[in-house]
Amino acid sequence: MNRPSRFLSILASVVAVGCSGGDSEVDVALRAALLTSGPVSDAGWYAGAYDGLKLIESFLGAQVSHQQTRTPAEFDEAFLAYAADGYDLIFAHGFEYQDAAIRAGELFPNTTIIVSGGGRVAANVVPLIFRLEEGSYLAGMAAAGLSRTGIVGMVGGVAIPPAQGTFRAFEAGARAIDPEVRVLETFTGDWNDVAAAKEATVAQINRGADVIIHNVDAASFGVFQAVRESVAAGRTTWALGMNSDQNDVAPDVIVGSAVIRIPEAFVAVALAWQEGDVGGEAIYAGSNQQVVDFVINPALAHVVPLDLLERIDLSRTQIRSGELVVPRVAFVEGEVGVR
Amino acid sequence: MAKDVRARVGVGVVAVGATALIGAVLLWWGGYDPQVAAGAMFRGSFGSWNTFASITLVRSVPLILTGLAVSLAFRAGVWNIGAEGQLYAGAIAAVWVGLRGATLPALILVPAVLMAATLGGAAWAMVPALMRLRLGIGEVITTILMNFVGIYLAAYMVHGPLQESRGVFPQTDRLVEAARLPILVPSTRLHLGFALALLLAAGLAVLLRRSTFGFQLRAVGASPEAARVAGRIRTGRVVLASFLVSGGIAGIAGGVEISGLTYALYEGLSPGWGYTAIAVALLGALDPIGVVVAGVFFGALQAGAGAMQREAGVPAAWVGVVEASVILTVLALARLRAVGRRGGS
Repeated sequence: MNRPSRFLSILASVVAVGCSGGDSEVDVALRAALLTSGPVSDAGWYAGAYDGLKLIESFLGAQVSHQQTRTPAEFDEAFLAYAADGYDLIFAHGFEYQDAAIRAGELFPNTTIIVSGGGRVAANVVPLIFRLEEGSYLAGMAAAGLSRTGIVGMVGGVAIPPAQGTFRAFEAGARAIDPEVRVLETFTGDWNDVAAAKEATVAQINRGADVIIHNVDAASFGVFQAVRESVAAGRTTWALGMNSDQNDVAPDVIVGSAVIRIPEAFVAVALAWQEGDVGGEAIYAGSNQQVVDFVINPALAHVVPLDLLERIDLSRTQIRSGELVVPRVAFVEGEVGVR
Repeated sequence: MAKDVRARVGVGVVAVGATALIGAVLLWWGGYDPQVAAGAMFRGSFGSWNTFASITLVRSVPLILTGLAVSLAFRAGVWNIGAEGQLYAGAIAAVWVGLRGATLPALILVPAVLMAATLGGAAWAMVPALMRLRLGIGEVITTILMNFVGIYLAAYMVHGPLQESRGVFPQTDRLVEAARLPILVPSTRLHLGFALALLLAAGLAVLLRRSTFGFQLRAVGASPEAARVAGRIRTGRVVLASFLVSGGIAGIAGGVEISGLTYALYEGLSPGWGYTAIAVALLGALDPIGVVVAGVFFGALQAGAGAMQREAGVPAAWVGVVEASVILTVLALARLRAVGRRGGS
């Protein structure tokens, strides 16, 4: 357990220093690459990773490169090209890279591959798991506290374990505030289908839900649009953001967002790698390193009762200290209950 | 004949030249150094033997196979725009057989996987073929629609019936060694699929030029009515056969990708090879050997595009623009040539 704790302390120092950089004395010429399977202009998951790569460049003076890949065959090719070119660290930003990462890892033992949300582990293939459920739990508390109907909704994309985990945590957070709360759940089967997400949200609102959280990518616009239309029709309805700080996306209806601070996590991983502390086991980044959090929208802070805010703050502290353990769905090789 | 070959080569050279020019202008316009990008493109596609074999040729395999599928259909006057869906149908069938037959020896399992891919692709082509022959519905629309069905069927399969036994991620279990195509050139990624594509191209070239079926196919493609009346050719049968063979070859492209490279079925297996195949077929002048050359060219283009991203920081969207410009250039040149020939005779 030495490695994770070293990682945590490094991560905490990165978050404390922030993005200002400047006083970095590290002279090791690190070469870091990023692979994404979507455009880094998405203002979310991929954009966060690209910002992380840029932060590694400015903060650590690393040489960086990025490639957007589309097919599993391209994943292999990009890993091989970067590894053969002598890159030390490759961030593969999505579970979809895990099989290709294992193949490339065997061929190039001197290259370390970090797979965001991955499930397979090797000496030089390391899943980076964001404990988004810890932010989602706090969002669930906010949802139950805000709801007047006692019904809250969750609209998801593809029902993979990390997404399911955020919803189990959301449910648990909601029950912590209101044990009688009803929680509706819909998976549309698509991260980016705006129309399907909107339809699912409308259906949940019609069943009485008045606070809706999502776990989709570009489809979140559909969720927010449905909530806006419900508000326009005279119902008090709120939305909650997920993955990145979406409070600005629809500041009139989004009360808060469960966020992952990907850039800071990436820099911390790079630093830990330079210390020789990365390999052989998954890295978990959650709220005790402040990588994951729940952020209230300042524009709507007045609608959140003060005692609810205090309870959320208390739970955040308890999660950070380990006193409160948020439910999650395990999916990494070697984890309890996972083959 | 020699004139024809010269004309074809001419079209290819002019298309490549025009594309390079358009590409350079676009890069310069986007604020990138065309020379740096061109250098990266060359290193990424032809830079070393390993790069050429492991990236360019590997990428060309599905392009050649789907290009052959499309060109054969087009020669018969069958507008099969459905290679993408047929590829996915082939991939699904291949992975299903590969996983089910995991205990079989490679000598039986690999051919079984490829056979399944062929049948899967042919079955996918059967639907629009019958809709055209029995109901008179144009195949352009039906084949495109079948693409979406194929893509979503693959997505359903990896979320449902064929999902990995851990039940965690949307992908199938990995194929056993015995279901995988052997590597063709040691210490590269080049697999047997490339040899298979070349063999198929040679076979189709002979079929088209020397066999009765090839003659009938070309006759129906040139004029179905004339073929029926003057040549006493049963055009319906020829159309059906061309459709099925075309679908089968596109299916092989999917099976080869699974058993030669990825060893499992994923969503988004193909970036649209079935559509790029149309450009490959046209650039290859619908000739099997021409398709091989065009497929390698497109493979090099895509390989180089990846290197351009890595080394020159050119965004991925750019290659889409280049590919589109190739398609447009080729279409325009092919049309100009056809018009010129008609005017001259």
